[in-house]
Amino acid sequence: MPSVSERSTKIAATVALTAFAAVALAFPELAPNPYILSVGIVVLNYAVLSTSWNFVGGFTGYISLGHGALAGLGAYGTGLLITKGGLPSFVALGVGAVLVAVVAIPIGYAALRVRGASFVIVSIALVLVTLLVFQSWASFTGGSRGLNVPRPFPGMLRPEHHRVFFYLFLALLALAALVWWLIDRSRFGLGLKAIREDEDKAETLGTPTFAYKLVVFVVSAFFTGLAGGLYALWFGDLDPIFQFSILTGSYMVLMALLGGVRNLFGPLVGALIVGSALEYFKVEFGNTPLHLVATGVLLALVVLFMPDGVLPALGALLRRLSPTTDTSIREVTAAELAATGGDRQHAESRNL
Amino acid sequence: MLSLETFELTKAFGGNLVLDKTTVSFQHGKVNALIGPNGSGKTTFFNCVTGLIRPDSGRISYAGADITRRSPHAIARAGLGRTFQLCRVFPRMTALDNVLAATRPRGANLLRGARGRAEIDRARGWLTKLGIEHLMQTEARNLSWGQQKLLELAGVLMSEPETVLLDEPAGGVNPALLDRIGGLVRDLNAEGRTFVIVEHNMDLVMSISDHIVVFDRGRPIAEGPPSLIRTDERVLGAYLGA
Repeated sequence: MPSVSERSTKIAATVALTAFAAVALAFPELAPNPYILSVGIVVLNYAVLSTSWNFVGGFTGYISLGHGALAGLGAYGTGLLITKGGLPSFVALGVGAVLVAVVAIPIGYAALRVRGASFVIVSIALVLVTLLVFQSWASFTGGSRGLNVPRPFPGMLRPEHHRVFFYLFLALLALAALVWWLIDRSRFGLGLKAIREDEDKAETLGTPTFAYKLVVFVVSAFFTGLAGGLYALWFGDLDPIFQFSILTGSYMVLMALLGGVRNLFGPLVGALIVGSALEYFKVEFGNTPLHLVATGVLLALVVLFMPDGVLPALGALLRRLSPTTDTSIREVTAAELAATGGDRQHAESRNL
Repeated sequence: MLSLETFELTKAFGGNLVLDKTTVSFQHGKVNALIGPNGSGKTTFFNCVTGLIRPDSGRISYAGADITRRSPHAIARAGLGRTFQLCRVFPRMTALDNVLAATRPRGANLLRGARGRAEIDRARGWLTKLGIEHLMQTEARNLSWGQQKLLELAGVLMSEPETVLLDEPAGGVNPALLDRIGGLVRDLNAEGRTFVIVEHNMDLVMSISDHIVVFDRGRPIAEGPPSLIRTDERVLGAYLGA
């Protein structure tokens, strides 16, 4: 039976989720102008990206800074399938994401053989290599001139275009969160969390850790590719320097860490805070690098004061405010053990 | 029938030869003990056998199959479970999840809920046997050292290994619980499970073992029943003392 603090945490989570869903669904109507609505889309895009990253980072503890490359591949894959392959926009989006997932298999096969700092470095290399390829292969990708992606709804005015894409991103976020939740409660998810805690130990218990990591990396790549592709359809203009940026991956990590990597809604909370803050700093301080400084300060504050993130910190606060239960981890004494039948085992072991 | 054998197993770390052409066998269906001074290669032997360390040369055979180059999870699935000298649990997971993580689903079962009634009952059974059922919902990092050792053992037993390698199960466990572990080993052995135990607590070793192998400098220097080992001159000289 759940404890009082567990029940109150669940109630608080349900209320917060319902409130978020209500505000999110009404947001396009509440937004005072198309710019604010576009900020909402950017935040949702961050939330999808960060939730996608959290399939790997949250479950296995592998910190990838290279997910920006997967988002970039999704964006360019979708754009190129439309412009070069002639596919309809949303078919290109799906095919592009599948291609990213397929490409992620050899990438994951190589990268997931190393752990810790080595994995982080390999993931950074992925961003740099893809940036170079997409910049230098100008005849195919457009290079530094960029790639113009045709709009899926050509006759639609900008406000309506924003409104449609806001709901599309919201639906994608719901889908990614649903899959994350399904994995979280599954036996596969428990195996992934065991990897996060102690990979060697998980191996010796019979968990095929490499296969588990590879599968979840591919799932993560698929959703990251979808988010990148949907961004391409919405924004319509791609440039390798922005699509294959180390900053994109760093933002995903920061958002997930800020909200809480072990929590389904951690990346969403992180995206709401970081995404809004980034837009605010960009608007207020123009092209100065102040938004980057603020991001760094935020990361430092999180690491110092809320290493597990905002949601776990709130959960701990709720537990502290709830009535305490009478529990103890004190070990049993010889007398207590004897009362539970331990004396019999003791005698048996001595008589052998 | 011999359950676990090694042939000229060799492992060196730099210039330090830890296992020196070790040829040894452990008896199926028995409680085997592996003893020896610190640094004699016992834990390295366990690490090689369970695939965590690749030996430089030699061969490891389990139930007639060569497992020398197999991955740790394949060795575990072949029926070899182990605990660690410095006990290893999943610190941010509850005691219950620590034990549930030892189940081995395949295929579509992977996507089923991790906390099915049957699994929870089985996990609770092991936790009860080890006297820590009341800590089921406690995160492993909040348990005492001794309780973590018991939890680690519960997890290994949940994975239903045919042979269990225990690396210093008595370390940091209070005397009352130590007797419980000893009794549990004998009970499980009576059900057909094989044990190989590395341990420095000679009272425990001598009371529960059927067969003892003594290591020194990466080689077995003696083996036999406890009554023989207790009086072996080489063992007295290298480890037990006069």
